[in-house]
Amino acid sequence: MTAASLPLDSHGNVDQLYIETRELRLQGFLLFLVSDCVLFASFIFAYLYLRNSGQGWPPPGIQRLDVAFAAWNSVVLFGSGATMHYALENFKHGNFMRYMWFLLATIVLGAGFLGGQAYEYTHLIYGEHVTWWGSGIFGASFFTLTGMHGMHVFIGVCYLTVLVLQSAAGVYTRGKFFGITAGTLYWHFVDVIWVVLFSIFYLL
Amino acid sequence: MNAALIERLGAVIAGIVVGVVAFYALYKDWHATGVENQVFKLMLLLLGIGAILALLAGLNVVGFAPKG
Repeated sequence: MTAASLPLDSHGNVDQLYIETRELRLQGFLLFLVSDCVLFASFIFAYLYLRNSGQGWPPPGIQRLDVAFAAWNSVVLFGSGATMHYALENFKHGNFMRYMWFLLATIVLGAGFLGGQAYEYTHLIYGEHVTWWGSGIFGASFFTLTGMHGMHVFIGVCYLTVLVLQSAAGVYTRGKFFGITAGTLYWHFVDVIWVVLFSIFYLL
Repeated sequence: MNAALIERLGAVIAGIVVGVVAFYALYKDWHATGVENQVFKLMLLLLGIGAILALLAGLNVVGFAPKG
């Protein structure tokens, strides 16, 4: 560990507590992501079970979801995963301004994805009359799963906004940036969950 | 040019860019050690796969996009 990458406390001393607890924080955060995976997995398996127990999919009277817009919206979210990865890499290498730009790009792309999802919901509810409450298993599972994922993206956007503010205030240093690592892990997680949701709702 | 075609075109171009970036990042981080880096590698791989799926959906190879 070089002098520049040593974690320091607010008095400029080496933060021994941070060094000792970082691995535990990481394990705790990964455990949180695993528990979130289990939550999504239970809903996804319930959806797949119900889908395969019925006669044909989607149910009669409901159109197939439009994959063109979903594909575009998906790459917006996947792109945000790439920008978040490079935000972390730039922070690790001391390129603070690049880090900030990549972080802001991630927030914009995440918000763009949410906007796309809101557009799709509006189109489905008002254009095709597919609702959460009135379209049987299809509507319930689609809106529950994508809504739950959207909530995760929204929380992620809020988290990243806090990261921008904290970074601008100098909270993170080259030796002490677990918050940014956790944010990157979380953002990759919401990306990966969307890979699964995109596949089961639009491609299968 | 209708909206569906523009969306599919966007998905194809952005899918290629994101896929290349994800796999390049994975290639660069391949020898990185530590728990978080292993998780990052797994997630970058899945991100790359997601980009490929979006690219294929944009090309109308998978999924059911309306013809544009």
